[in-house]
Amino acid sequence: MTTRAASQVARTATAPRGASWIETLAAHIVFVLVVVFFLVPFVWLFTSAFDADAVAYIRLPAQPTLNNFVRIFTEHDFARAMANSVLVAGSTMVLDVVAVSLAGYSLSRLDWRFKSSITYAVLLLQTMPLSATMVPIYGLARALGLRNSYAGLILIHAAIELPFLIWLMKNFFDNVPRYLEEAAWLDGRSKLRALVEVVLPVARNGIGVVAGLSFLAAWAEVLMMIILIDSQDLKTVPLAFYETLRTQGGYVEVQYGLVAAMGVLYALPVMALFLVTRRMMVRGLVASSRGL
Amino acid sequence: MPAALLLALFFVGPAVWALYSSLTNLALVGIDAANPRFVGLDNYTRLFADPDFWTVIRNSVTFVVGSAVIGQFGLGLALALLIDHAEHRRWWLGTLAYGAVLLAWVNPTLIAGFLWVAMFDFFFGSLNHVFLSSFGLGPVDWIGSFPMPAVIVANIWRGTAFTMIIFLGALKTIPPDIYEAARMDGANAWRRFWDHTLPSLRPIAALALLSITMSTFGTFIVIQTLTNGGPGTATEVIALFAFHTAFKSFSIGYGSAIAVVMLALNFAFAVAYLRWSRARA
Repeated sequence: MTTRAASQVARTATAPRGASWIETLAAHIVFVLVVVFFLVPFVWLFTSAFDADAVAYIRLPAQPTLNNFVRIFTEHDFARAMANSVLVAGSTMVLDVVAVSLAGYSLSRLDWRFKSSITYAVLLLQTMPLSATMVPIYGLARALGLRNSYAGLILIHAAIELPFLIWLMKNFFDNVPRYLEEAAWLDGRSKLRALVEVVLPVARNGIGVVAGLSFLAAWAEVLMMIILIDSQDLKTVPLAFYETLRTQGGYVEVQYGLVAAMGVLYALPVMALFLVTRRMMVRGLVASSRGL
Repeated sequence: MPAALLLALFFVGPAVWALYSSLTNLALVGIDAANPRFVGLDNYTRLFADPDFWTVIRNSVTFVVGSAVIGQFGLGLALALLIDHAEHRRWWLGTLAYGAVLLAWVNPTLIAGFLWVAMFDFFFGSLNHVFLSSFGLGPVDWIGSFPMPAVIVANIWRGTAFTMIIFLGALKTIPPDIYEAARMDGANAWRRFWDHTLPSLRPIAALALLSITMSTFGTFIVIQTLTNGGPGTATEVIALFAFHTAFKSFSIGYGSAIAVVMLALNFAFAVAYLRWSRARA
């Protein structure tokens, strides 16, 4: 951190002299194009959500209305989907925080025989795309009776995020000085108590990132939802969104306003949490090397 | 260890299950659903003889090269250099561009697919109805005529932030005295970039490239929402092929064989990735 800050200062001090106007203009034109390309779809999403008869192109709603939001709750049982999503993402988060604290700590501190090969395996698992495991996970979940159940959704979402969260947490633990828990052991606390009472409070930033990322990942994830859930009662936010989009295309004209309203409620928690904890989350996600 | 249990159950379990069922003719419906038979390597011989499989591999390679190597990697590197430069110049528009790219990335993938469905829409999509028509041009059937470029653009939109962040981080670790020394030697901006910036980025570039190649290879949601593999098999990449085989044709055994091939290819990339990152550390 300090070296980074120092190099930052040094760079500003030696930063090149004033830019020519051509350079400034060219760079700003590029930036405007970039901003337009990346933001225009979002502008459409938010304007359509508040437009009573939204269309596929961008326009400002003639009369901004909350009608779309009212309709997804009254006609599409979106409240149930949100409750399901919160339940699944919340439980996934709790399970992951417990599992990751223990696993990350043991990979960081304890010496056991196969530690390096297990660390390696964890890294390897982290790179497997979900779509490659989709068919086998479906088969396994069916064999174990975990399809169409909260338990299946929670266990599988907790599991698929584990490798990279363990890796992330191990790095946080590596930065906690060892003498802290050694002092606690001398006081006569057990290893587990020392972890919970001494180490975890110091590594609370790490716990926060793990909790945030596991919640968001389970909230946003859709592939496993598609293969695990057919029951209407267990429908989550991404499934409701997906179904509304799928079932309308082809037969009925897509009701963009409704889908966009669902999209806003689906994306907003993710974006909001990111804006608040941007720096840490970005570091965590980059470590995951795959994004949500 | 709860973590070890979960990992064993949902990572090792599926791998073993996939290997086993890929050797059977397990299906979701029909006689084979009740009594799957052991068929040895039949699924694999069938797969490698299947012309669709080779089309799918070709599509996957095109998609990875277009969207990951050229798109996310090239654009990500260019953006990182520009935004890093903007930070030194204190141009706030650079920060805004950074935020915009980031927003597209943290946004759920399903939304990314949906947004581009609307952007590309033939009759009323923003691209035709607002952008092209303001230049007096007629509508273009983006998804029908250019399905592969369309899904590539959508995936570049979604995924560029990752490489950009990686390179921005790497640029900050280049010691500034290198540039100062080069400037003293009379090297112009281009030479400084070519001789110093690029070589310092090379190791991290290899890692970024391998890692986005792996994740792009598994792309599913963006393509499924936009084209569902179509028209015909024009954008059917390997993840969609596995999905369609297992859940639309109900051949789980055959679908598992595809999943095993995917896992094997990914495994090869992952081992290369880990070797490389260890060599650096």
